Amino acid sequence: MPKEQGFKQRVRSGIADLFLIWKDELKLTFSDQGILIFFFVVPLFYPLLYAFIYNNEVAREVPAVVVDESHSALSREFIRKMDATADVHIVSYAADLKEAQLLLKKTKAYGIYVIPADFSKNIHRGEQSFVTLFADMGSLLHYKNLLITATNVSLEMNRAIKISLAQNTTEREDEITSAPIAYEEVTMFNTQNGFASFLLPAVLILIIQQTLLLGIGLSAGTTRERNLYHHLVPASIHYNGALRIVLGKALCYFMIYAVMSVYVTRLVPYFFDLPQLERPGTLLFFMLPYLAACIFFAMTLSAVITNRENVMVAFVFSSVPLLFLSGISWPGSAIAPFWQYVSWLFPSTFGINGYVRIHSMGATLSDVRLEYGALWIQAGVYFIITCLIYRRQVLFCRKRRLDSYRKTKGRMSDDCR
Amino acid sequence: MKVLRRVTKRQALGRVMLRECRRLLSKPLYPFAMVVAPLFCYFFFTSLMSEGLPQNLPVGVVDLDNSSTSRQMVRTLDAMQTTDLRYAYGSFTEARKAMQQGLIYGCFVVPEGFAHDAESFRQPTISFYTNNSFLIAGSLLFKDMKQMGELASGAVSRSMLYAKGATEKQAMAVLQPIVINTFPIGNPWLNYSVYLNNTLLPGILQLMIFMITVYSIGVEIKDRTARQWLRRGNHSIYISLAGKLLPQTVVFFVMAAIYNVYLYGVLDFPCQSGILPMLTASLLFVLASQSCGVIMIGVLPTLRLGLSFASLWGVLSFSISGFSFPADAMHPMLQGLTMLFPLRHYYLIYVDQALNGYSMVYSWVSYVCLMGFVLLPFLVVNRLKSALIWFKYIP
Repeated sequence: MPKEQGFKQRVRSGIADLFLIWKDELKLTFSDQGILIFFFVVPLFYPLLYAFIYNNEVAREVPAVVVDESHSALSREFIRKMDATADVHIVSYAADLKEAQLLLKKTKAYGIYVIPADFSKNIHRGEQSFVTLFADMGSLLHYKNLLITATNVSLEMNRAIKISLAQNTTEREDEITSAPIAYEEVTMFNTQNGFASFLLPAVLILIIQQTLLLGIGLSAGTTRERNLYHHLVPASIHYNGALRIVLGKALCYFMIYAVMSVYVTRLVPYFFDLPQLERPGTLLFFMLPYLAACIFFAMTLSAVITNRENVMVAFVFSSVPLLFLSGISWPGSAIAPFWQYVSWLFPSTFGINGYVRIHSMGATLSDVRLEYGALWIQAGVYFIITCLIYRRQVLFCRKRRLDSYRKTKGRMSDDCR
Repeated sequence: MKVLRRVTKRQALGRVMLRECRRLLSKPLYPFAMVVAPLFCYFFFTSLMSEGLPQNLPVGVVDLDNSSTSRQMVRTLDAMQTTDLRYAYGSFTEARKAMQQGLIYGCFVVPEGFAHDAESFRQPTISFYTNNSFLIAGSLLFKDMKQMGELASGAVSRSMLYAKGATEKQAMAVLQPIVINTFPIGNPWLNYSVYLNNTLLPGILQLMIFMITVYSIGVEIKDRTARQWLRRGNHSIYISLAGKLLPQTVVFFVMAAIYNVYLYGVLDFPCQSGILPMLTASLLFVLASQSCGVIMIGVLPTLRLGLSFASLWGVLSFSISGFSFPADAMHPMLQGLTMLFPLRHYYLIYVDQALNGYSMVYSWVSYVCLMGFVLLPFLVVNRLKSALIWFKYIP
């Protein structure tokens, strides 16, 4: 073998090796059950499971109990109207607060409405009446339903009372009396306030990053375990160069995830009727840097994995903090600067924010240019780090081979002597 | 001939425990997963949500009227706790664009001629838009904006009533005859940190317990040390398992005690029942989680599959335990399934005891369920033993 290769020849052999490595990695991926689980089974079924859990979107008919001390037509009207809403269900009437509390303790109800004895009298006397709501705070969704329903019913009844007090002559006058300034509330993008529409897009994007992280980590761990010197690089003449190894492997992962991403980002929301406002082209362009960033991020982290299964123990829990760091459930504007800087290390932060805006809010690529740019930068930085890691590994490998070659050669010459 | 000395059961147990302690210290993975990762998460989540209730969420305003009345309204909205009016836009389209760029969580539109229409009783309409793709931010803003809408309307009516000679009390009785007084039991500040961290932190710990239990048993099969482990335990799977898991129980219980002390002692989260019931629940929770781990590796005695099972169950716990999305809103089949997650029972106990301060009697079902988990490993113990002796590691 000539020591100095021409540049042209090196590129040619590099490309040939790249595809060889790509082929090896594909073979490895499809022959390893563990990697198959992460690359195919989890992305295929996990989103479905999540969507199934959150599929009802909202909590309806939250059970509540009423303590009606007023026993008046007005108090009964209030209760009837509460029960008629979709969000609250009056399960029982209690004689006093104690009895109602017992129902709360037995979790037969999540809230108590107390209507005082002077409820109707006060209103007819031209004074304010107070309805008291005691709410169980175990679940905020229950609390929200109980409070919003009571508020809405009270506003509706207030309007009617105001009109009856005003003694207007025309209907238009009535309308104006009830609300001199009207207001309308529009909940945008996730119009029904649904839980799936809110959380699922973030989970979907996170699944892509985490399964890549686990799958690539597993693959790296396997290589190290099988390798004589516990290196990331197999002792083969074709694995002689960092760039070809990194690109060859990345190409393999990219091909698989190009297909999986279509399923995860397009088909799953479609199956479960989530709001989908994206233009497919925008999404395609956005997923490109996201996948690249995720792949090189995972390859960088996989360098610390020494054993096959360690990757799961070490990395799985990170999904929960990462979901919160993305600023979807906990508003991004309320995240302390320090954690915001930390979140920039992970592709999922930008991926989730960009995807949610493109997918749920119909944003264009220029609307998410910040995230788009950040993902390209991440892809670049992690690519360089990965290359450096592999370069070191390749050099190590070469040195080890050379050392052992010298050793055997030395021993042979000793024997000869 | 050398006669092997018989060891008593207690000696055997001690030997296995000693062996396990050495193993736990031999690999950096164990201290990382058992101590560092949970501690990091305790710190991370409580520090992330230290604000309690998210405040000053950025909102945009589109004031097409620009009158003193509309500006007054904008100022009122800005003064509200959760709302931070940060941007003004010339049209709704611009505001929507800003929403899509993620700059604001909502906007508020005052129509042209608003003040004029209001003064001449033509009932102008103001509009509030909230972006509910961010559910928490959207809901919080929705509350503020609704209040704002009522206030705006009320302000006009009130000045009219004052003009007619009504007193403040009389005016209020006309404006708002029925008032809802709300008492959020146990968490009157609507503190999200209290609400989420009481279940998130145990959830993380549970995930780590699943993983480490499965890993520490499965890796014996992988490294072909399972027979040696059983030999140390007098060839009894019960002694071997107990010896292996007890040192881990101690570590995990200490980790659980740490978050209890941290949440209720340091951060002063509501703990109406006193810390003792919560520590009891935590101990049962740790034991139940370990038992789940034994079942996972017993049913799937391959390290990779066992760990996959553990990850699935552990991560799913966060959703299915029903602390964010209530269990009774889920599909009935899933509601039954929630029984199989220790975190679900722990969450129910926490709500009853720490949050609401009910007596432990009311949560007996959850305590019994947690104890029930401890019995489950007996179902798989024989299968596990034969796996330990005969199974070969398949990568």
